[in-house]
Amino acid sequence: MGPTDRSREAKALRRGAGSGSSRRAFLLATAALLVTGKGVSARVVTKVLPWRPNEAYPVTPVVPGGYLFFTANEAAVVEAFAERLIPADELGPGARQAGVTTFIDRQLTGPYGGHDWLYMEGPFAQNPLPTQGLQSELTPRQQYRNGIAALEAYCKSSFSRSFTELDAGEQDKLIAGLEKGEVQLPNFSGKMLFTAIHTNTVEGFFADPIYGGNRDMVGWKLVGFPGTRYDFRDVIDRPNQAYTLPPVSMQGRPAWGER
Amino acid sequence: MSTITTRLRHLILLLPLLVAGGAAAGPDNHVDIARGKALVIAGDCIACHTAPRGERFAGGLALQTPFGQIMAPNITPDNTTGIGSWSADDFARAMQEGRRPDGAYLYPAFPYPYYTKVARGDLDAIYAYLRTLQPVENRVDRDTLPFPFNIRLLMKGWNTLFFTPGPFKPDSARSAEFNRGAYLVEGLGHCGACHTPFNSFGASRNDKYLEGNQIDNWTAPNITNDARAGLGKWSADDIVQYLKTGQNGFSLASGPMKDVVENSTSKMPASDLKAIAVYLKERGAAGPPASTPLLASDPRMQAGEAIFVDTCAACHMRSGDGVAHLFPKLAGSAVATQQDPATLVRIIVAGGRAAATDGAPTSPAMPSLGYRLTDSQVADVVTYVRNSWGNAAAPVTEETVKALRARVTGAAAGD
Repeated sequence: MGPTDRSREAKALRRGAGSGSSRRAFLLATAALLVTGKGVSARVVTKVLPWRPNEAYPVTPVVPGGYLFFTANEAAVVEAFAERLIPADELGPGARQAGVTTFIDRQLTGPYGGHDWLYMEGPFAQNPLPTQGLQSELTPRQQYRNGIAALEAYCKSSFSRSFTELDAGEQDKLIAGLEKGEVQLPNFSGKMLFTAIHTNTVEGFFADPIYGGNRDMVGWKLVGFPGTRYDFRDVIDRPNQAYTLPPVSMQGRPAWGER
Repeated sequence: MSTITTRLRHLILLLPLLVAGGAAAGPDNHVDIARGKALVIAGDCIACHTAPRGERFAGGLALQTPFGQIMAPNITPDNTTGIGSWSADDFARAMQEGRRPDGAYLYPAFPYPYYTKVARGDLDAIYAYLRTLQPVENRVDRDTLPFPFNIRLLMKGWNTLFFTPGPFKPDSARSAEFNRGAYLVEGLGHCGACHTPFNSFGASRNDKYLEGNQIDNWTAPNITNDARAGLGKWSADDIVQYLKTGQNGFSLASGPMKDVVENSTSKMPASDLKAIAVYLKERGAAGPPASTPLLASDPRMQAGEAIFVDTCAACHMRSGDGVAHLFPKLAGSAVATQQDPATLVRIIVAGGRAAATDGAPTSPAMPSLGYRLTDSQVADVVTYVRNSWGNAAAPVTEETVKALRARVTGAAAGD
């Protein structure tokens, strides 16, 4: 179903909200669409589940290098921000070395960046309950583009410097202010920007390296996550003993040999 | 008893038949037809004579041979495109001599070198059953081989060299059960057509009978009683269970054997399966000498172990023991250690599916891992499986995997 179908449906839904007959018409229309639409005919499966040789749905691995969505300055701001959230320290590399900025950049380029699979037509609650989920018409791409511009404008007016030129202490204080909603950015919710970068940084640090972040599985090594393993029968009966197998990603690990 | 009373009795017995006259009883060969059907199942005729998604027995399946492609013919009783115009003698001649009614030579992709052993009574029963099928009009191009193999007369020379016609001769020194098994395996079952290596003329090598072959990019393993390469570790009951359900404690049928089990052996009477098992167990053993396993320190073994632990062990277990009824045991597996590694390689690259039978309906499947592993990684993990837990077999090279991957993936691979 294309975006046009979706918005048409959404309009029909809004129109039908107050009237029983038009809601019925909408439901009938939807049913008709399901019946006549291509590729929706039910498939009967008997005896054995379908299986085809060579069937696989591989992810196209992210190739690091350059940015597809961010400008150079936006990337520098995001990288500096993320590095304060997960800094390199005695426990290991931080967000910068893990490739978190590349991860976020590629995610924003794809369907996540446009919230392609979310209902984005509104209405949006002004003071939503936490259970109401996303209540903004801004896609992640817009959140980053507008939010970083607002952050930079704020830094220019308050510090006469870019966010990237603040020292670590100043950055931490500013980030904490954004998180608590105490810093007011011009025309943009500081809390929304914080939430976006914070959420995506954590994702980029711990997602499979095939998506561009978690380089060399640094995130998994930090917390002792074994990666794409899914069978622990050999160790399940040995509690309180160290799990010694190294993490493995969707593309394997160095011991598998050159790719 | 006088002759007159005997005649009278016959007359009396005939009376009800005469009275019922016109009820169109048809030819009284029900037993023949039922027996013929069972024999057609035992011969797995449907496997070659039915095209994918085609009408049953109406032909059209392309058989890939080293000499080119041969289309299996329509054997429904259609007069123009099938064998409707054939007499029982015509049919017997095709089966026993590999000749068409007009005398033209058939190619041994049709395994007449095996069918020649089938008794005439059984051939007539098969013929009677085939006559009961719905005639299907489906013209199959029977001349697809390239020059010079399209010259059917060449088969006259081939027959002189490699074909010994004549019915099965029981061995009086052996049990009736052994002889029944031999009759089925060497004749209609044509097991050797896949499980015996070919010579360069595409003929089964009698000196290597049932010692294994590569067929359609699958390994048809050694099924002699050899302890290492063959069925030596299987009991007769294990063989029966495998043929009946598609699996036993050692192995699960996949690839072409999945079709054989599903279409043929799972539907055969237990007595025949037992006879086959007895024959295979008692016939003898032959296989290549054992090789020395690669050292665990070999770099291929080290990489292979890492890949196995990360990718395979969740189902096949770190110990290679698998899980009964679901995931084949690799430790001690004869399939894994055949000289030809095709099955092992292709199941990793393309995935595989085990037989589904009434006795074991699950049909567990192995996912395709070709997207995740490079040719050299597949080669290393196969080499590791072939040389661990007591297994020992030649290492597999990246080039072998590359060539096989090309044949089992992509458009040419089909399903």
